[in-house]
Amino acid sequence: MAGTAGQWVLLAYRIPRQPSTLRITIWRKLDRLGVARLGDGLVALPADARTREQLEWIAEEIVEMEGTATVWLAVAGSMAQEKAIAEEMRRARAAEYRAVIVQAEAAASARPGERSRTVKRLQSELRRIGRRDYFPPAEKETAQRAVRALAEAVVAEGTR
Amino acid sequence: MKWATRAGVHIDRAACAWLIRRHIDPEPEFVFVDDPARVPADATPFDMRGAELSHHGHDCSFETILRRYELDDPVLWKLAEIVHEADIDDERFDAPEARGVDVILRGLSMICDDARVLEITTPVFDGLYEFHRRALLLGREPA
Repeated sequence: MAGTAGQWVLLAYRIPRQPSTLRITIWRKLDRLGVARLGDGLVALPADARTREQLEWIAEEIVEMEGTATVWLAVAGSMAQEKAIAEEMRRARAAEYRAVIVQAEAAASARPGERSRTVKRLQSELRRIGRRDYFPPAEKETAQRAVRALAEAVVAEGTR
Repeated sequence: MKWATRAGVHIDRAACAWLIRRHIDPEPEFVFVDDPARVPADATPFDMRGAELSHHGHDCSFETILRRYELDDPVLWKLAEIVHEADIDDERFDAPEARGVDVILRGLSMICDDARVLEITTPVFDGLYEFHRRALLLGREPA
């Protein structure tokens, strides 16, 4: 489990207040990427080819809506600072994995049809969380196990 | 004609290169650059920040090129859904192939250079196109 990323990609941006739907679109996209919010209009992700590209496209979209956006590569000023940001990101993902675990456990006693729908949904949810999980918490494995157990129960149900 | 894009091609750029070769310019020459400032003056840039043939609004570059060149073949738009999901993954479309295609492209970019990626993916996209062309004609999955 890597505690630090080394290099980070930062997006500094300002979005026009109106129309608010555009602001919301951008916020949703940033949430989806699991960014660390460093301050007002400043977000960060561990740098790799994909995260850099994603933030560059979002920057482009902000510029197209008459906002301003710049993308930077950066290194934290201190290890402690970086660890605190990484820890915050890990905690955010851990909460998402815990929600999956709770739903998987609740679905164990659901009706078969509903159970198989829940499995599909939770598998997609795990994949979504996985894509923005840069510092995997212990809950990741537990969530994967819970969903796998539920999927196996659904398959067993079908062959009975 | 000369076309330029960012080095380290993934799904969107590989699919755009295929689209250009098959529907816009039968003898394209592709240049891969690290910096948008290095795009040759006589080249048309695509899938790069600031280029016209790039992401716009919700569209990935493949969709932008389809619109810009008025390519309204429904099979190409079906492929666009796969490319969009593999590239942006925003669940706008139901394209289960996307995940597989994305992983294949990411793996290829680890073992070969950009020219080779385009060489390998040309028949891959030809095949995807043919599969979806037949599916559309039949109204179901072809054998």
